[in-house]
Amino acid sequence: MIKKSDIVSTVRMLQEEHLDVRTVTMGINLVECACRDIRATAAAVEKKLKLKAGNLVRICNDLSAQYGLPVVNKRLAVSPASLLLEGHNRSGALLLAKAMDRAAAEVGVDLIGGYTALVQKGMTPGEKVLIESLPEVMAQTGRVCASVNVATTKAGMNVDAIRMMGTTILHMARATKSKHGFGAAKLVVFANIPEDNPFMAGAFLGSGEPEYVINVGVSGPGVVKRSIDRLIKTRPDCSLGEIAEEVKHTAFRVTRSGELMGREVAARLGIPFGVVDLSLAPTPRVGDSVGEIYMAMGISKLGAPGTTAAVALLNDAVKKGGAFASSSVGGMSGAFIPVMEDHALARAVEEGTLTIEKLEAMTAVCSVGLDMILLPGDTAPETICGLIMDEAAIGMINRKTTGVRVIPVPGRKVGDRVDFGGLFGSGTVTNVNCPDGAAVFVNRGGHIPAPIQSLGN
Amino acid sequence: MNRYVVSVLVADRVGILRDVTSAVTDMGANIDGFSQTVVAGYFTVILTTSFHEPRSPESIRENILRNFGPDEAAVVVQPYAADAVGRIPVKGARYIVTVTGVDKPGILKTITGYFADKGINVEDWFVEFDGGNVRHIGEVSVPKLLDIKQVQEEFQHLLSAMDMDSFIQHENIFKATNEIGAIGAILSGGR
Repeated sequence: MIKKSDIVSTVRMLQEEHLDVRTVTMGINLVECACRDIRATAAAVEKKLKLKAGNLVRICNDLSAQYGLPVVNKRLAVSPASLLLEGHNRSGALLLAKAMDRAAAEVGVDLIGGYTALVQKGMTPGEKVLIESLPEVMAQTGRVCASVNVATTKAGMNVDAIRMMGTTILHMARATKSKHGFGAAKLVVFANIPEDNPFMAGAFLGSGEPEYVINVGVSGPGVVKRSIDRLIKTRPDCSLGEIAEEVKHTAFRVTRSGELMGREVAARLGIPFGVVDLSLAPTPRVGDSVGEIYMAMGISKLGAPGTTAAVALLNDAVKKGGAFASSSVGGMSGAFIPVMEDHALARAVEEGTLTIEKLEAMTAVCSVGLDMILLPGDTAPETICGLIMDEAAIGMINRKTTGVRVIPVPGRKVGDRVDFGGLFGSGTVTNVNCPDGAAVFVNRGGHIPAPIQSLGN
Repeated sequence: MNRYVVSVLVADRVGILRDVTSAVTDMGANIDGFSQTVVAGYFTVILTTSFHEPRSPESIRENILRNFGPDEAAVVVQPYAADAVGRIPVKGARYIVTVTGVDKPGILKTITGYFADKGINVEDWFVEFDGGNVRHIGEVSVPKLLDIKQVQEEFQHLLSAMDMDSFIQHENIFKATNEIGAIGAILSGGR
C-alpha cells in the first residue's frame, strides 16, 4: 500500500492548498485549412476544431473526478492564424477569428490562443492584417487570444513592429472601452515566444509541433506557500537554502500531478503528450498567490530590496524540482507575476511598494514579463512601445521569454481601480515613471540587431 | 507442496515474530506469504507456509502455541485453498479512500456497508485517532462497470450526513506525487 503519510500529504495538497492543473491546452495545427476563399478557410477551421477538440472538456472532467484533481481551464492553441491570412484583408481576419470563437464556445473551452503573428525579423502582409485586425477581433469575440512575437535572441528586435503594437494596444483598449479595455488583456507581445506554452493569452502551436498535442500548465502557488509556512513553523531560523530545497521538493510533486493528467488526457484523445509547463500561475484567490510566497520567505513588503532575489530563488527551485520530476517540461516554466491576477501583487502595486520599474527588474529572473498591468487611458503609444522594448531587450539579451500584457484603461487615471472579474482579477491603474522621455528613441524605428553570443558578461 | 495459512493474535511484546516463525520453520516449513500489524497494542500476523510432507493443522497450531504462555495467543491454522488468489472478488481500478472528522459510532459500518452493496472490495484499511478526531485511509478495488463519479457523489453524500469529509481518488495520483518512477510506467501499471 502507498505510505499513509504520502496519502495524507497528497490529500492536503489537493483539498487544503488549492493544487490544481491550471490548464490542459490542446494544440491543433490549422495550416491545412488555408484556402483562397477566406469563408472556406473559416469554415474549415471551425469544422476541424469542433471535430478534433469535441471530447477535450468531457475527458478532462472525467479525469478530474477520477483523481480528485481539478482542471481549472480547458483551452485550445492553434497554429499562427496569420498563416491563414496571407492574401486576405481585415474583414477576412474578423471572419476567421469569429469562426475560432464559435468553435471554442461549441467545444466548451474558455479561451483559444493562436491569433498570432511572428514578426521578429519582418512582417508579411498576412501578419500585418492580423495586427491591424486586433481591435475589431478583440471587440467582437469573447474567447480568442492573441500574441505577437517582436524579438528573439537569434533575430534581434523589430522596432517597427513594436511601434505598430503600441498603437494597436491603445486601439484594442478603446475598442473594448465598455469593458474597461479588457480587449488588451487578451494580447501578449513577446520576445522569444515559446512554441508549446499552454498558458493564455500567449498560447499558440509552433511550427515544430505535432499536428495535435496536449500541453499542460500546472499551478500550485498555494501548495508552495504552505510548504514554506510549515518549514518556517518547524524551523523559524531556516536559511534560504533550506527554503529553496523545500520549494524544489514541492515543485516535484506539483509537476508530477500535471504530467499525470496531461498524459492521461492525451492517451484518451489518441494524440501525443507534449510538455508540462512548470510555471507557478496565481489566481486572484487568497491562498493562491505567488506574491504570498515571497512574503512567506520574509519579504514583508513586495517591491522592497531583495524581492528580485526572492523571485530568482523561487524560479530556480521550481525549475529544478520540475526538471527532476519530468523529462517533458517546456513552455515558460518559472514563476508568473501577473499583477491583476495575484491579490498580493495587486495590493503592493496599489500601496506603491511595487512599481513597474521593480516589476521589470523581477522579469529578468522570472518566467515572463510585465503582465496584467493597468495603465492610464491616456498613455502615449511611445510609452507602451518603450515598455515593450525594455522587456524585449531583457528577453533577447538573456535568452529567455519575456512578454508585455498591459491594459491602458480608457478614461481611467492613476489610482483608479478596475475589476475584470474571474481569473483576470482586479487592480489599480499605475503610473510609468518619465512616460514621455523616450519618444524620439522609439520613433526611430528600424531593427535592433541580434545580440552577440559571446563575451557573456 | 502442502500449504497452510496461519493467523496469530496476541498482546504485543518483543519476540512474537521469532516465536511464530521459529515454530513453523523448525517443523521444516518455508514461509511464503506474510503480513503483520499492531492495533492498539495487539499484534496480529497472517502468513502462509509450505511443507514437503503433509501436516495436520492442529500439529502446526500446537507447535506455535508452545512458544506462548497459557491463553496468551489465539492461533488459527487451516489448509491453503489453491484457488484463493483466483477468488479475489473484484477486478478493477484501485482507489484510495480518505474519511476524516470527529469520531463517532457507525462510521466503519456505514463505509463498509456502502462498499459491500456496490461490490467494491476493501483491500486495506487503516484508522488513526487524534484526540476526538479520526482519519480513515483505505485502499479499495472498484469494479470497472461502476461509474466512479456516481460512487464518489453517493459516498460523499453518505458521509457528509455524519459530518465527515470523504474522498475517493484513483491511486495513480498518489503514486505520481510520491514516487520517482516515470509517469508512463505508473500509468501502464509497471515500474
